[in-house]
Parts: sequence; C-alpha cells; structure tokens
Amino acid sequence: MAENRKDARQRQRAPLDAPRRADADLRLPAATPQASYPLEMLVPQVLQQTPAVGQRATRIDARLHGLGQTRYIEDLAFPGMLYARIKRAGIASALIRRIDTRAAEVMPGVMAVLTGREIPVNSFGPSFQDQPVLADAQVFHAGDGVAAVAAVTEQIATEALDRIEVEYEPLPAVFDPLEALKEDAHRVHGGDSNVYASRIIKKGDPDAGFAAADHVLEGRFSTQMVEHVAIEPHAGIATWDPAGRVTIWSSLGRITLGRADIARTLKLPINRIRIVGTIVGGNFGGKNEITQEPVLALLSKKTGRPVKGVYTREEEFAATTTRHPFVMEYRTGVKKNGRILARQVRLVLDGGAYCSWSETTLGKAAILAAGPYRIDNLQVEACVVYTNKTMTGAMRGFGAPQVCFACESHMDDIAAALGIDPLEIRLRNAFEEGSISPTGQVLQTVVIKDTLCRAAQRFGWKEVRT
Amino acid sequence: MTNLTLNVNGEIRSASVPPETTLLDLLRDYFSLTGAKRGCDVGDCGACTVIVDGKPVNACLMLAGQAHGRAVLTIEGLATRERLHPIQTAFEERAALQCGFCGPGVILSAKALLERNPNPTVRDIRDAISGNLCRCTGYTKMIEAIQEAARALRGETRERAVPVPVEGARP
Repeated sequence: MAENRKDARQRQRAPLDAPRRADADLRLPAATPQASYPLEMLVPQVLQQTPAVGQRATRIDARLHGLGQTRYIEDLAFPGMLYARIKRAGIASALIRRIDTRAAEVMPGVMAVLTGREIPVNSFGPSFQDQPVLADAQVFHAGDGVAAVAAVTEQIATEALDRIEVEYEPLPAVFDPLEALKEDAHRVHGGDSNVYASRIIKKGDPDAGFAAADHVLEGRFSTQMVEHVAIEPHAGIATWDPAGRVTIWSSLGRITLGRADIARTLKLPINRIRIVGTIVGGNFGGKNEITQEPVLALLSKKTGRPVKGVYTREEEFAATTTRHPFVMEYRTGVKKNGRILARQVRLVLDGGAYCSWSETTLGKAAILAAGPYRIDNLQVEACVVYTNKTMTGAMRGFGAPQVCFACESHMDDIAAALGIDPLEIRLRNAFEEGSISPTGQVLQTVVIKDTLCRAAQRFGWKEVRT
Repeated sequence: MTNLTLNVNGEIRSASVPPETTLLDLLRDYFSLTGAKRGCDVGDCGACTVIVDGKPVNACLMLAGQAHGRAVLTIEGLATRERLHPIQTAFEERAALQCGFCGPGVILSAKALLERNPNPTVRDIRDAISGNLCRCTGYTKMIEAIQEAARALRGETRERAVPVPVEGARP
C-alpha cells in the first residue's frame, strides 16, 4: 500500500519529457511532448539575431511520420466504400459525338457511372472558369476526363473504363506556344485568339536607352514543362449524410477555395459542403485546386455510399497541373563598362488547355523578368496562350524560376561578350538601397551586393576563376 | 485464392487472397498496416519499401504469395513499445521528414543498410536510398540522419549542443 503511494508520488514528479501515462498503455512510443519557445525568442528585438537561428527544430508531426502512423487519404477507409476511376480521353483535341456507358453499367460490381452532362455546373477554375470537371462536348487535352465509374473494387472500376465507348470527331490541335500565337492557328477555346492574358511593364524610354548603348545583346531561352510529382497522388473520399450535406476528405492544399469551387460545380450552397483537409503527402502547388472532388461527390450521391478516388501516377502526369513552359527573348543595351541602359523582354507562356493559375504566374514572371538590376529603360511584354496540352498552374515560385534562369544566363552572356567578370557585372548593376523596381516599388533593406560578395568569398569564387 | 502464412513484424499472420494480390495490398488491405505507401505502383518511388528476410523490397512489385513463409518487417514493427528505433529518432531530430509520405520507405531502406554495414560512407547511404524518391527534403537531411543513427547504433553517443543567443548580431 505504502509502496503504491510512493509510486504515485514519483509519477507525479516525473519530468515533463517522460512518457505520459496514457502513452505507456499504448503499443506506440510516447508522443512528442508539447513544448513552446520562451516568449523572448518569439519576439526578437530590432536588429537582434534570434536564438532560433542555428537551432535544431523538429516538426510536431515528425514522430508519427517516422512511425508510419500518419493517416493520409489513401490510408482511410469507410464501411461500404466504393472506388472511383476516371476515363481519360487519350486524344488532344476532338468533339465528343457519343458516350455509351451501358456495357460498363451492367458489369457486376459497378455501382454508378457518371458523365460530364450530369454535372450541374461543369466548369471551374481560380480565375477563368474554363475547365470542365469531365469533358462533355469537347476534349481540350489528352488527359481530360470523359466519364467516371464507381465500383466495389478498384480493379472492377478500371476494367469498366474499357467498356465505356466514346466516339470522337478529331479536331485540329496546337501544341507549341509560338504556333498558337499565329493568325491561322487552331483556336483551342474558340474566340479571336489563343492569348488569354497578357501583361506589359514599361519604364523610361527603351528606344533612347538602346540608342545610347555601346553594345546591344540578344538572347533566347526556353524552359520545359515540369510535373510536381508529389509522392502522394491526388486523393479524395466523398460521402453524403441524410440531411443532404457532403463531406469530402481531400488532399487539397487550399480547402476554402476548393469549397467554393465544389459548391459552384455541384450547385449547392457552400454550407452544405464540408471539406476535411487531411495531411498532404507533398503539394508544391500541384494540389492548389479541385480535381476529381465533384466527381466523387456525385458518384457518392448516386450510390449512397462513400466513394474514394486516388489518381494513378499516369494521371498525375497527364491530368493534373504542371509548370509553365516559357519562351523568353531578351535584348539588352549596355555601356562598355557593363552598366545596363535598356532592356526589352518578351515572354510567351504555354498555358496548356486551361487557365488555372496562369494569370498569377504571368504577373509574377513579368515583374521579375528584368532581374534584380537597376534598369532605367525597360519594356516587358508577356502573354500566356492556350495549347492542347496538359494544363499548367501553380508550382513553386509561380514563374519566377523560369525568368531567373533566362535573365541570369543572359547576364552571363553579356559578361562574356564584354570580358567582364560575371560577379562584377552583377555588382555594377544590382539594386541598391532605395532602387525602384520595374513596377515602381521603392526597395528598402537591399542587401544583394553584400550577399553576393559574401557568398563569393565563402565558396571561393576568385580562386575558382584563377 | 492463395492461402499464405507469414511472419509480419514478429507475429505469424495468415490470409487467403486472390493470386494477383501484391504484398503491398496484403499489408494495407488485409492487415491494416498502412505505413507502406502506394506512390506509383510500378516500383519507381520506393514509398512501399518493406524488409523481407533482411532485404529491402518494393512491396508493390512482390506478390503476396512470394512472401509465404518469410519474415516481413514493416515500419509499424520497427519501434518497440518502449522506444523509437535510433533511425526514427534521428529522422525526427534532424527534420529529415517533411510531408512524411516517403519516410517509412526511406527509414526501412536505411535499416537494411545499417544491418549489413554499420559504418556506411555517404556514398553507401546514397546507394542504399537511391530507390526511394523524396520531393521535399532534397535528401541532405536524410543522409545526415542516417549517419547519426549509424553512430548511435555503434554506441557513439553525441552531446547535443545548447544554442546560445547571439547578442547584437545584425540580421
């Protein structure tokens, strides 16, 4: 008896990082103790280095990740759950003449089939609503979904896709952004032009700048399409409750935006839709907008059962957003000493079949295209065009990496042509305290020259060059 | 249907599965061991890595029937009730896991490496985890964590440095 009381006292006095009582009863090791930093570390004084720098930080969820206990959507299952698969068009540009789903519907194990015509509002998108959830009348790129199936197993759903017959009438297609700009190019979404957004930035007098320059150098650069390849594919589970509300577990990064898009496509008030944003296995911008969620919701509504959809790796490449390929033309007028007098930039962004986040990407690329340099006479013309390819959208940096690659490569070319050290030409032109950015922002706390010099010193720039 | 019996994380488990069932499906759907992830289903990404008789394998490429009578170790069997495995501790402390989706696979590849080579070079570690794709970390932290785990497993413990605030340093 006395021994027991002693035990209890010792437990009470146990240090904070010892396993909690409840954890000891579990099969698992103790959860990370909750610890918060002292207040003075969170609110540093002006110009004071915080102690956080150089300190090791651990993620709150790292232990469960390491134990394999984190539940991603693929790891969730509900009683009676069905599996959804989407049939992809496999043709880049065509009219849909007929979709025959009868053979799939009668397959044992197939519970429901869905086509684009059954979707209340079959369009979505963050800035232009130009993307169908499932293509109904026309296919704009090969990864477009044309029909979806919910079945008791993933295998049956996959097999049912082959039984769906779709009759296409092929249309001309355009795959190159520069071809898409031509007068006689196929108009992906009809209208007068494939250009669906443009930006022009003008500063000073570029013509006068070029006239005063000792040398004018030109460069043309292009980048390719890049897929995010998050290791977790896009996934979702939808289920309805008897009161007519839908709950969607989704790997969506922006759940509030997604909720509005889903409400629009399902033609439901937004308060009928609940989204559970689960732990995401990598996003990088690729999970910023809805994909199959309305399809899962409608299949669940048809069958009265939870419906789960997980993209295959092929679908990840063919049917989700990617990074914009850019074609970039640079023209720069310089003095003999390397000082830039004028610069002209032309950017053509390949937007793929749908707008997605292209407007945001276009704006950011145009603003950053001239680089971090003092250029008094500047002209940037940028546009984004439709092509019959996988749509492009948000990805890490929103267009900044592409223009940085082109601009800095161009700077190296200029340095080589003038016989100036690449570091030196950047130091001669870089932003300074109070410099004005291409869009008129007065810059403060500019440390670019200091950073460049210190970096060059640290990795031995001079030693490598000599 | 295929009847099979195997050792999973030290326990004898049996199941009757369709012959085309992969080891990954067996673990995830029949035994509810969801630590092995399905990233590509074609053996490219390594998110489904488990250890079969001491060797790391892509569970999505191995049929469940091939695991009959063998010993399978999944991420769920790595930590004991009392403590984490040193690799798990090192991954947590070194922030080698971000989204965590590839984590179980990388940790098991590292475990298989350290079992056969307690003192691996960076080259050895890179080779060992070359079948595991990670899109968050850039692998640097993982390699550091595996080196630290190797030190811990060899019994060379290291004192953790206590950070000292730097007064008046400019940002």
